[in-house]
Amino acid sequence: MTKISKNSDKSLKSNSVEQSSRRDFFKKTAIYSASALTAASVIAPIKLKADDENIVHHVEWGTKLGDRVDKNLYGIPSPYEHNNIRRVHDLLSSGDRHATVSMSPLHQQEGIITPNGLFFTRNHGGTAQIDPNKFRLMIHGLVEKPIVLTLEQLKRYPSESRIHFIECPANGSTGWRGPQFNNLQFVKGMMSSAEWTGVKLSVLLEDLGIKPEAQWALIEGSDNSEMGRTIPIEKILDDAMLVWGQNGEPLRPEQGYPVRLLVPGWEGNLNVKWVKRIEFSDKPWHAKEETSKYTMLQPSGKAINFFWPMEVNSIITSPCPEVPWTDLKKGDLVEIGGIAWSGRGTVKTVDISLDGGKNWVEAELKGLVLPKSWTRFSYIIKWDGKKKVLLSRAIDDSGHIQPSIDKLIENVGVEGIYHRNPIVGWEVTSKGVVNNVHVRS
Amino acid sequence: MFMLDLKKSLLAVSVMSTLVLTNAAAAEKKNIDGAVMYPIKNGMYTDYAVNEQKKEGFSGHGRMPTANEIKAWDTDVMPDGHGLPVGEGSVEFGDELYEAQCSMCHGDFGAGGVGGYPALSGGQGSLKNQLGLEGTEGPRKTIGSYWPYASTLFWYIKTAMPYPNPKSLTDNEVYAITAYLLYVNGIKANGVEIDDEFVLSNENFMDVKMTNPDGFYPVHPDRNDLKEQRGPLAQGVRCMTNCEQPEPISINAEIDTGFDPAISTEKSLPKVKESATVSKAAMIYEASCSACHANAAIGAPVLGDKEAWAEVVAKGIDQVYANALNGINAMPPKGGADISEEELNEVVDYMINASK
Repeated sequence: MTKISKNSDKSLKSNSVEQSSRRDFFKKTAIYSASALTAASVIAPIKLKADDENIVHHVEWGTKLGDRVDKNLYGIPSPYEHNNIRRVHDLLSSGDRHATVSMSPLHQQEGIITPNGLFFTRNHGGTAQIDPNKFRLMIHGLVEKPIVLTLEQLKRYPSESRIHFIECPANGSTGWRGPQFNNLQFVKGMMSSAEWTGVKLSVLLEDLGIKPEAQWALIEGSDNSEMGRTIPIEKILDDAMLVWGQNGEPLRPEQGYPVRLLVPGWEGNLNVKWVKRIEFSDKPWHAKEETSKYTMLQPSGKAINFFWPMEVNSIITSPCPEVPWTDLKKGDLVEIGGIAWSGRGTVKTVDISLDGGKNWVEAELKGLVLPKSWTRFSYIIKWDGKKKVLLSRAIDDSGHIQPSIDKLIENVGVEGIYHRNPIVGWEVTSKGVVNNVHVRS
Repeated sequence: MFMLDLKKSLLAVSVMSTLVLTNAAAAEKKNIDGAVMYPIKNGMYTDYAVNEQKKEGFSGHGRMPTANEIKAWDTDVMPDGHGLPVGEGSVEFGDELYEAQCSMCHGDFGAGGVGGYPALSGGQGSLKNQLGLEGTEGPRKTIGSYWPYASTLFWYIKTAMPYPNPKSLTDNEVYAITAYLLYVNGIKANGVEIDDEFVLSNENFMDVKMTNPDGFYPVHPDRNDLKEQRGPLAQGVRCMTNCEQPEPISINAEIDTGFDPAISTEKSLPKVKESATVSKAAMIYEASCSACHANAAIGAPVLGDKEAWAEVVAKGIDQVYANALNGINAMPPKGGADISEEELNEVVDYMINASK
């Protein structure tokens, strides 16, 4: 009830501004002396700008009641973040928006977990809306004991949680003939990452008993397209999972609710959504998506099929065309940040070049460094207002080094569509504008 | 400071690069995809703790499928013909069905080009094309030029086509459409090009030989080729200093339209669409009045309480407006809200109407 009069309020505020400006002064002094400015410029008084309206006046949201806690009982982001969304482009669809891809806004993501509402989506016949009460999983074929499980029964299995990215193998495929999109979202947005919860297939199979001649499994979805893929037994028994949890909640429909396959590190398409059936056989199936799509045509006219893991890769996410350095002043410190990943193991090292690949330095990895997972890297520089070409190059513990653009083209041509993992370039102009460029080495 | 760090990290780099490669050479077990297989050591799988309790027996929650259930779901067809249902269909019938149910997307004779849906015919001889490296055309991958097995075609049509209405075709209709698509692609059965008299059935299905069965590697299904671990498509080089690099190439023809929604990182309130359900008065009520008028303990008439509001209205509407404007009992003028008198009256009306 104590209402501070406008006058006394103002005097309090200006007092605190004075204090903070003094603190600010010492802080700035420390930075400047460290960067070896002349003594004269350190002593020179730092001119205060006009008072910030957002500080010296009460803010709108502080002077009235906020929303009730029962508003949005499933929470939604701040309305101010309405541009932080997936986006689509008709050039990337085959016919309409049921069989297409939505790109994840990587430029606004933090850490190594994609919020469920921003996870990229690739469908072959629309998002199936499955009634969990009608969900059934059947496992049969070359197993001793075929089984049918309801969702509740499947979820009785002891669960495990793992953090893995899922990347569409066509991620970056618009770049085969040269740079086309000038934004990160469409250059690399066909991937996202989550903590997945479910049961390892090896645990399920302990009871069911695989027959010795079983070499392949067909994992089939129940959606419009009955999207199914063939997985070799070696992957099934290593780290493949049936998952029902995504970042602590049930899978989103776009991600295969209620159950999807997770084959860590492998092509997104192999992580079959809306799973209904697993059959074991001694031969692969040659489903449509391992024939007409998800095969890599080579200059020889022959194509690689069953090419599973996503190669070692990296991308600088800050800066990028959507998150430029146009606000920087010369001398400002700034962090170059990005994501590195490999479907073949764990990211070991990320190198950064500021001069288009002539010289490289090793970036710092930060946060969790997990197998077949996004790994964050960082390199701090002082902005000098000079044009730069930023590149990142990742190395994983399987010994693979991210290749250059031309090295990859030399090996596989430009018509393979999939598995395009060469070094990505961002040109930063002297004004801090960021553009997609290709360094063709 | 900065320069020192840089030097330090450059020094570390040369040591690190040796380490990485040595580690890789000495790598633990790898799977067939060339991926590192991490062991479980001391209850840990890399940085994950592993639940090592016995997990056998949970299949007790499920049950055996019946023979009919397996039959209902096991509809796949394999390259060796396994899974083909009994049935037959003619090219002629397939032509009819195709015209009626497929051509609106895939074009006449499977030529494609309708709204971006894939072509189903043509492209033979185009698979070595490398648009951008040489020539003016890319490869055209169709059933006729690319697909190695007819089984895939039958299976896909049976389960996933027609696109908006899948699983609506009978097995005989699927045979017919398959036969038609083989015909328009000039595919051979028993060495003879399929003609418009042809009838495809489970009996002669394995006579069909697609044009590109040897166009893929590794060659399956014998798996011998899989015993070799996969290498990367291309191995990079870790040059650290004075590396030869050409000037970067900028975007030539930028795709800068067509994004849906348009690219933006602006942090602003979205344009509010006029909502039919939440009026401005209701929003003011939520923001400025509900703290008291939604809480019976306060003593103010609660929104929706018919009796309480009947008493209020009995004073006459002008008196109610006046009380709201000037305050009454514990209520400050306008309830303390920074709104116009007109807005205030709208809120009063809203509250009265919501409490009838």
